[in-house]
Amino acid sequence: MGTPAQSFATKDELLTKPMGSNRFNRYARVHFSNKLFKFYALFSIFALCFVLGLVIFFIGKTALLTFQHVSVAEFFFSFDWTPEEGRFGAALFIINTLSLTALTLVIAVPISVGMAILIAEIAPTWFKNLVRPVLDLLVGIPSIVYGYLGLTVLIPFLREISGENLGDGLLAAALVLTLMILPTICRISDDAISAVPKKYRDAAYAMGSTRIQVIMKVILPAAGRGVVAAIIMGMTRAIGETMAVVMVIGNTAQLAKSFFSPTSVLTSNIVMQISNVDFDSPWNYALHMMAFLLLLISFALILFIRFLGRKGGDLT
Amino acid sequence: MSGFTRTPKITRSIRLNKIATVGFYTLGILVLTLIFWLLYTILSKGLPSLSWGFLTKLPEEMDVGGGIGPVLFNSFYILGISLALSIPIGIGAGIYMAEYAPKNKFTEVLRICVESLASVPSIVFGMLGLAIFASYFQVGLTILGGAVSLAFLNLPMLARVTEESIRAVPVDVRNASYALGTTKFQCIRTVVLPIAMRGIITGICLVAGRAFGESAVILLTAGLSTSGEMWDFNLFSPGETLAVHLWYVQSEAIVEDAKQIADRSAAVLVLVVLLINLLFRIPLWISNRKLKM
Amino acid sequence: MRGVLQVKLFKKISLVAVTSVMLVSSALVGAVSAAPSQLSGKITVNGSTALLPLTLQAAKEFQKLNPKVKVAASGKGSVTGPQAVKKGIADIGACDWDASMDVPGFKAFSGQVANKVAVIPFATVVNNNVKVTDLSTDQLKGIYSGKITNWKDVGGDNADIVVITRAFGSGTRVNYQSKALSGGDITKKEKNYKEVGSSGDMKTAVATTPNSIGYIDLVYVTSDLKAVKFNGVAASTDNVINGSYKIWAYGYYMTKGQPTGATKAFIEYVQSSKFQQSSLKKLKFIPIAAMK
Repeated sequence: MGTPAQSFATKDELLTKPMGSNRFNRYARVHFSNKLFKFYALFSIFALCFVLGLVIFFIGKTALLTFQHVSVAEFFFSFDWTPEEGRFGAALFIINTLSLTALTLVIAVPISVGMAILIAEIAPTWFKNLVRPVLDLLVGIPSIVYGYLGLTVLIPFLREISGENLGDGLLAAALVLTLMILPTICRISDDAISAVPKKYRDAAYAMGSTRIQVIMKVILPAAGRGVVAAIIMGMTRAIGETMAVVMVIGNTAQLAKSFFSPTSVLTSNIVMQISNVDFDSPWNYALHMMAFLLLLISFALILFIRFLGRKGGDLT
Repeated sequence: MSGFTRTPKITRSIRLNKIATVGFYTLGILVLTLIFWLLYTILSKGLPSLSWGFLTKLPEEMDVGGGIGPVLFNSFYILGISLALSIPIGIGAGIYMAEYAPKNKFTEVLRICVESLASVPSIVFGMLGLAIFASYFQVGLTILGGAVSLAFLNLPMLARVTEESIRAVPVDVRNASYALGTTKFQCIRTVVLPIAMRGIITGICLVAGRAFGESAVILLTAGLSTSGEMWDFNLFSPGETLAVHLWYVQSEAIVEDAKQIADRSAAVLVLVVLLINLLFRIPLWISNRKLKM
Repeated sequence: MRGVLQVKLFKKISLVAVTSVMLVSSALVGAVSAAPSQLSGKITVNGSTALLPLTLQAAKEFQKLNPKVKVAASGKGSVTGPQAVKKGIADIGACDWDASMDVPGFKAFSGQVANKVAVIPFATVVNNNVKVTDLSTDQLKGIYSGKITNWKDVGGDNADIVVITRAFGSGTRVNYQSKALSGGDITKKEKNYKEVGSSGDMKTAVATTPNSIGYIDLVYVTSDLKAVKFNGVAASTDNVINGSYKIWAYGYYMTKGQPTGATKAFIEYVQSSKFQQSSLKKLKFIPIAAMK
């Protein structure tokens, strides 16, 4: 920051002498601040990338040590995770993470986007003013409170209706996650839908459309990229959530065969085991590799959703 | 209805419209009931027994009647520092993505970076903070470490929300501003940001709420203890926050009234998030009212 | 030691904004003097969460006596303790087993000294709906290895046994496996099996899941769940002290070599009869002096 400021100062001195300098001076200042701001914005985005770089570096450094002890094929394709006997197959966690995310989105997206439409398009103002802050409140409830309620309220309920002995599993985790990501998806889509210009609606209504037609055919496509962004934000939170999931998923390293079999996903396995392993053991490296994998999976899912969004959404 | 015949198609559309409206309202009522039940469950257990003493006293390990004074203070302190660090950078990054980024592959990569960062699980940020502050700088478990790691967690969400809100500002407004001869910065500062402010503040509220309730990161970077005194501004003190305290009380504490402390702490957490929302929004409401006049 | 680190830190980051605060902190932390009356410094304790209530209470009392000492405590898992000590992140590593020796699953940490600080009793617990009141070593072994899956095989109702266990590497699990199952396995099962992450979760899970069995520190046993007898002996502090109840273990503070300075004073305080006979007993641990 030092050098541009200095160069500005010298320019400033040069320009103060002649007539009309005031105008020119202001002009230079405005342009300087313009440049500086662009520089600042660029700096910010690089700072963000730098943080991602830090994560990749620190986690990746440890993660790659895994493959000194475990073959790549075993790690990615074996379903046998028995680290205490040196078998590190992470495939089951990868598949479980994907299934959990999919299940969560299947439940959460219709509910959240539906709520967003209700708030932004249908409901009267007093309703909006009531619901918006309430939804923001949900975000602030700590995940362990969700987990605790899941454990003490949701699981006994699921046990009741399913007739299982335990009730832990993918379904319980997906339901808890749904509640956790509902405000995220809902609030961001709400903003996107509210931002659709009024003239689009007016045009559609003038053509004699009913409200549901306007919503489905005009507003949702126009708000498409915002809604997709909202879903991505929700999804990434679902993938990365740990403290609540770990309390209701059962934490057993096996492939989920049903909604109710105790199972384990990448995050829950990391958080359960990371505190109990030797720093310099293949086990710890493998857990770091799983954290790294989590990054790769969300990366792939983001690309996938973007691809879907590009195909279906952006009509604007 | 004059000069207008209802074809079966129109009848069907109208009926569908009614069904959809009812459907949306039913969904809304169900979700709201669920949310209110949730809030009621959390608040009704904790609020009635909440007292000023509980909010200001030191935590106890073996005698009943411990409070949450220092942890509550740490929560605000850490949240404040982390927001002070992350808001300027997060908003700056969002502005770049919305206003400056050219439409090319590089920008796509940047955007995916932001989104990937958003998906990094909080525990990974905790591991990162531990590696940086405890192993590399050797300062141990500190408020500073917790705040910086928490700022990492806030960044992508802030950037993303800022970008979306700025994109939602209509092009006409910008064009009008440029037509008056403003530079890009002037346009952003005086026209775009004020309009996008509503969305950005929503984002900040969401982030602040989430950060306030975050436990995994703080647990690993700021520790599970406090310095045992109120108003400790030392950045290198251990910084247990309320959310971490709640986790601790729920998982390991053996003091007899652990359950009540957990219930009350959860209620306080929710209340504080409510307060944060109000605090950020009141200025917004006032300015909105002014605009309308 | 800490003083040097503090200087190193000064070199590494020169944040102007925090300098004033840091000056205060370094004034407090920087000068580690050996004078016993004027102890100062910073002690970081990490490791077992089971010992955390004890550490926090001791830290509180110790800081009152030595206002210039700061004790920072955190907990993650037992093995974190000695590891943090090894890496230099912590001065004291709380651990539920003697980490200077090999235990199943973990190698010894060489060069570390184990300081006994407390005796921790454990209990086998079941949900309140379970009728069984006494389980033998063999029965427990059968249940945890997956050979016995129905309560009627151990004298209870005809119902599936739901096994709840701590994650591998938890101090509670290490001790329970070696003392109650005499080294027997805890086998993962496809159904009716789950792992939990903390004592609190274990308590909630067993208390809310019908037909479940688990194990927990005796301290956490309340009326929400039932402690069963082990080989006919009830889980109680008295039975641990008189030697008839076998499921207990020492809790340790691991240090790098013999402790010195403030760390030494802190450990001595925890071991002192003043702390052991009052606060430690109130926290329902058993004083180390009670064991022969």
